[in-house]
Amino acid sequence: MGAQVAGLAAQFKAEAGKAGAMVYEASSAEDASNYILKLAQERHVKNAVKSKSKVADKIKLRKHLEKAGIEVIEADLKEWMAQLAGEKPTGRKTIGQVEKLISKATGKKLNPDPRVLLNAANRTIRQYCIDADMGISEADVAIAETGTLIIVGNEGVTRLVAVLPRIHVTLVESQNLVPFMEDVITRLKSLKGNIAGQVVPGYVTYITGRNTTADIPGAVLARAQGPAEEHVILMNKAARRGSV
Amino acid sequence: MSRAMTKRVHKALTDENLQTALTRLLGLIKFVRQLAFTGLDFESLSQEIRRVKENSIANLPQLVEQFKSQATKAGAVVYEAEDAEDAVKYVLKLAQERKVKHIVKSKSMLGEEIELREHLQKAGIGVTETDIGEWIVQLAGERPAHLVGPAIHKTIEQVAELISKATGQELGTDPQALLDAARRALRQTYIDADMGISGANIAIAETGTLVVVTNEGNGCMATTLPPVHVAVVGYEKIVSSWKDAAAIFRLLSRCTAGMKMPVYVSHITGPSRTDAIPGTMLHGAGGPGEVHIVLVDNGRWQMRESDEFREALYCIKCGTCLNVCPVFASVAGQVYGYVYQGGIGAILTAFLHSMDKAEEVASLCLGCMACKEACPARIDIPRMITRLRASLAEEKGLPMLNSMAYRSILKHQPRLDRVVRIGSYLQQPFVDADLMIRRLPGPLNALTQTISLPALSRNFLRDRLRDYSSPKLTDKPKVAFYSGCVGAYAYPEIGEQVMKVLTECGAEPYYPAEQACCGAPAYFAGDIETALNLAKTNIVALEEMKPDYIVTVCPGCAAVLQREYLNLTTAEPRWNQRARALAGKIRDFSQLLLELTPSMPKKPSRNQKVTYHDPCHLRRGIGVFNEPRRLLEREGFEVIEMADSDACCGFGGHVVLSYPELSKSVLKRKLDNIEAAGVETVITNCLACVLQLRGGLDKRCSRIKVMHSAELLASTFEITQ
Repeated sequence: MGAQVAGLAAQFKAEAGKAGAMVYEASSAEDASNYILKLAQERHVKNAVKSKSKVADKIKLRKHLEKAGIEVIEADLKEWMAQLAGEKPTGRKTIGQVEKLISKATGKKLNPDPRVLLNAANRTIRQYCIDADMGISEADVAIAETGTLIIVGNEGVTRLVAVLPRIHVTLVESQNLVPFMEDVITRLKSLKGNIAGQVVPGYVTYITGRNTTADIPGAVLARAQGPAEEHVILMNKAARRGSV
Repeated sequence: MSRAMTKRVHKALTDENLQTALTRLLGLIKFVRQLAFTGLDFESLSQEIRRVKENSIANLPQLVEQFKSQATKAGAVVYEAEDAEDAVKYVLKLAQERKVKHIVKSKSMLGEEIELREHLQKAGIGVTETDIGEWIVQLAGERPAHLVGPAIHKTIEQVAELISKATGQELGTDPQALLDAARRALRQTYIDADMGISGANIAIAETGTLVVVTNEGNGCMATTLPPVHVAVVGYEKIVSSWKDAAAIFRLLSRCTAGMKMPVYVSHITGPSRTDAIPGTMLHGAGGPGEVHIVLVDNGRWQMRESDEFREALYCIKCGTCLNVCPVFASVAGQVYGYVYQGGIGAILTAFLHSMDKAEEVASLCLGCMACKEACPARIDIPRMITRLRASLAEEKGLPMLNSMAYRSILKHQPRLDRVVRIGSYLQQPFVDADLMIRRLPGPLNALTQTISLPALSRNFLRDRLRDYSSPKLTDKPKVAFYSGCVGAYAYPEIGEQVMKVLTECGAEPYYPAEQACCGAPAYFAGDIETALNLAKTNIVALEEMKPDYIVTVCPGCAAVLQREYLNLTTAEPRWNQRARALAGKIRDFSQLLLELTPSMPKKPSRNQKVTYHDPCHLRRGIGVFNEPRRLLEREGFEVIEMADSDACCGFGGHVVLSYPELSKSVLKRKLDNIEAAGVETVITNCLACVLQLRGGLDKRCSRIKVMHSAELLASTFEITQ
């Protein structure tokens, strides 16, 4: 880790911590997976939902949790279909294949109409998000100055995963830390995965620490309407490389 | 002043629950502000916001076009609404076409402004406010009491009762249990809703992006779970770029909640979408399939046209001006009678609602300038209030009595002398042996219920200082003394002491006999003609002997002489030039003393502790707050800081006359802080403050003495001599 990145990581950790997040610096892929598994077990997590995350794939997080008996649902539509098919989410599918997968998952015979299929998928995934104990996201950018995570996506589930479950875990690669808020837009514009014609992803959610409210008299209370716990796993190069 | 307002003020001041809630709130606000601003370069960050907002409003037409085109490209529908009715009609029609039965709404001031919830409910659509504070207020059937904390006026018992009733359970007063119940109840409403309505804290033109800020997470859910998202957005929310938005974030949450950043900032660019299903790109992927953005004018473009009031559009709705407002601290927000509260509320109300309402809101202003000092967008709210009063006076004319007082008495100094002299005879039956008036007959008694008044002197300062009417020919610095009306008629002895101390310090003070009232009462009430007339009288009187300095004991007058005369004379360049020359010579008493005797060594300790009250117009009006303390310390006194030394004493504006009960409540906090400082003497460099503090302490039968710095210093000379 370069000195500059280390400096940003330290600043990020301090600021996010002050805002009520729990930041863990993972020393390796195993370390990251084990930390999340241990957290899930301690908090009696039975099911988790997961947004698209390259780094989670790299450290094989889903498998690691599933092996321990925790259900993990991919909330991103492509990832979910791949999960249903038991494949990697790379190859393109025909509408017929999609129809079969979603019909099977929802237990209903569906028309091979894109809108019908999407609506059925939405309902199912949304319910998973509502019922999940843990949400797992990746922050494509994070701001050191304020300890802010930036979670992006075009599907609404990126936000449901981050807000609905009682525990939210976010993976951040240390090279994605930027010093200041003003640096964010340049990163967003250069993200891969933006749909054609798009300048920035449809949803860009900044999360700083844990949600709170001062609306009930007498105290400033944590966990207003979002998760009770915000965990951040900060991954440096060594942690990203290996596999479990 | 209106009778309805007087009633509301009375109700708020005597509402025990409200007062309990306010005391708690004030503590919280103070804590939060300390947390957020310690070690922060507020000045440069707020200048940055100011720059962003100035540019955005200046370039608004282009930015609107850019925003519309980008948002449309991203798949959102943009509708431009002329007024409240137009906006409501659009949303209602959309809801009806989509067969919407239930709506979740995240907090929106614009939503309140156009009464969106009420209109939708009237049409039979269920609407749930999802911000917990806003929800509590909705359950209570009330209006929000604060921009940011809608339910701050509620006690825990009231909240427990409301949430118990709404959730059908018997809940105690444990905050955590209440929060859990609220969360569960609200969670289901998002899931069931057919439409989500939000405002936007910012709208970014370069990408057509809406920015919704919440700390609770309700904004994320209300804009994601329902199939249709509608955002109502005032035009003034549009900024050019993501970088501009960052400048606003830097202070927004610090001001609202003492946090570096809001917990959730949702940037929404068009509806949710996916290309996962082969063949096509589809909207409505795990989020809304439709995003409608209603840009609302409702008076905003007119405000933009106005050179005097444009800056009200720079408001980022952080509520800071309310948090520091002494009137708000006494009565909270519902008193104002409309959605926009406090000083900025008066201006916004004038353009977005009605002038009549605005007049009521403005009438509560003490003119203490605490809001101006704290505003993260550097908005000069007090200046706009003055302008608002002026345009109201122009439009409707002043009340007969005031108008007569300003035009035929204030303007002519000999007449004013005569009126005061008559008063000094009439007051006779009510003056106690110690020259205080503690009760007055009939309706006038409202005045003496708050404070005991000083008896008017029959021996005016002008007569006492006859020998000082012009400076002697010496090499000493010539100092013209401007006493102000309180100094001339109520406390002439303090004026004499000023002359004594100045002479002692090597100056050549004199008292220009032709000086008149500074014009502040007329100016702040909106009688610009009388104010200008008085400005000219004083410019002539004060420049005549070519003084090196002009010393004042009333910073209210000093601020008018120094700043407002410049504003008043802008149309007359020659007078303006004279006003500018005059402004450069104005000094506060302590300021001048330090300037005249810069190398005087610190005197040995007198073993006397004093506390110092910062007059609003001295500290925030002309920026003098170190000098009086330094002078006291140099003279051998120990200065003990009271809590909130710069909080208003409650005398300001017309409030002391129009709403004596309110003035009393503001004064109470000040007197409590003075007493808590544990000293025998409180010093202040403003005769209006002296009047208010002496009068208030007298009512408490307190032994604490209130003195102007000049009095204290004169008393030390007497001891030495």
